[in-house]
Amino acid sequence: MDPHDLENINVLLEREVELREKIRDQVADLDKKTRTMIGMLNKIHSTRTESIPALLDTVRPVLLSCRETMAGLVDLIPENQFWRWKDMWSNSLRTVVFTASLIEYLSSRTLISLSQVSEILGIKEEWKDRLSLPVEDYLHGLISLVNELSRFAINAVTLGNFEEPIRISNFVKDLFTGFSMLNLKNDALRRRFDSLKYDIKKIEEVVYDVSLRKLAPPPHASSTPE
Amino acid sequence: MLVNALFDDFRAHLDDYNDRRERLIKTSRDVTNLSKRTIFLLHRMVMEADADDDTAALQAAARGHEKLREIQRLFAGMKPELAGDRFWRYQRQVSPGLQEYTEALSFAHYLEHGSLITFDQVQRTLCDADGVPYFPLTIADYLLGLSDLTGELMRFAISAISRRGGRAKASEVCAFVRACKADFERMTPYVRDLSKKQAVTALSLEKIEHAAYAIAVRTSEYSLPQEMLDDIVAESISTFSAEDESRTRSGRRRDDDNPDDIEGLL
Repeated sequence: MDPHDLENINVLLEREVELREKIRDQVADLDKKTRTMIGMLNKIHSTRTESIPALLDTVRPVLLSCRETMAGLVDLIPENQFWRWKDMWSNSLRTVVFTASLIEYLSSRTLISLSQVSEILGIKEEWKDRLSLPVEDYLHGLISLVNELSRFAINAVTLGNFEEPIRISNFVKDLFTGFSMLNLKNDALRRRFDSLKYDIKKIEEVVYDVSLRKLAPPPHASSTPE
Repeated sequence: MLVNALFDDFRAHLDDYNDRRERLIKTSRDVTNLSKRTIFLLHRMVMEADADDDTAALQAAARGHEKLREIQRLFAGMKPELAGDRFWRYQRQVSPGLQEYTEALSFAHYLEHGSLITFDQVQRTLCDADGVPYFPLTIADYLLGLSDLTGELMRFAISAISRRGGRAKASEVCAFVRACKADFERMTPYVRDLSKKQAVTALSLEKIEHAAYAIAVRTSEYSLPQEMLDDIVAESISTFSAEDESRTRSGRRRDDDNPDDIEGLL
């Protein structure tokens, strides 16, 4: 190989390694934050309804602090290379989506939109070719939310909140309908979507138990077990 | 209902992604096929002439470049699909074709110039008339394509050995492949799959070396000048030619030419 060309290539390759390491540092930082949030949010399973807002208030600052990490990350990514590096932080970002969507559900019982999550993370439109929140990662985060809510339905009942399972059931069914509209190819998202039915079944059983014993107020909530 | 509207958007988005992905996989496969055919064409053309016949190599390279232009047109067609940040999104789909193309291009380049094609030279073939790249060439695809070239050169050297002037050619190729292997070694930690290809290169190199060794040993048994030896070899080959042809063909399909075949001929 031409020695000049050889040198050039080696320099470029070494630069890539450096960049990879810098990205890894940012992702490690993001992971630290997501782990903190996951730890805090675990308490929802043992917290009474009236104390949940206070709990969420302690998590929100951590979620918002992810902005700085994202801003640090976007500065590293070369123009047009978002998809080249995104696998390095996909998992972390999905966890962030999950925490944001869980916080949103617990505060307002609504689904957080993709653009809302982007906004929380301070992801700007002009970053598009360097850093964005892809649909796939958002959807992965939502599936984690359903996984978590099926557990939350059970523990809510244990703590005496009998209406929660019914609300969760309605929410999750809507989401499931949404997912059913997608033409998923045979990938991780598809497999995780396929597993949603078990979560739904679990939630249905809780709703059934609660309604059967007339523990929940009669259904203006409209959800009856099938 | 709100959720439905939301997911309608997602569906359009995912469908668009999957469709584009399929299209690119298909084109990449076409690129791979055409590249393979170009490589076969090059092998065929140089095999028909004496191994030291440089004009034959140049002619082959010219025909090869002509065929490669067909592939370049396919790349040009991929340009809009890979614009902006899309290139890296679909890089994994186009990379196999690009590697095969680099292999074919570098083989034609070697026949023409006897040297390794540079990164910039490959990228320049992926540009329109104004020099604007259709999409960026990655170092990984360039290196992995070149790494495959060593296998083609092994085949080239082995089949040259039995022809006039082929032994000199074979030792030339042998030195070249050895240099390639040395150059790539430093880059193996940075490029995924390169170390696997290096192992294949090592095998190819060994085959050429083994063939060269066999020739050297046998040559020493006769104290004849090179040209006469060439004639003797050529004569014995012509009697075997029918057999030889079928062997090369099946050997290529199996993707491993056996140097022992040549030994048997001598």
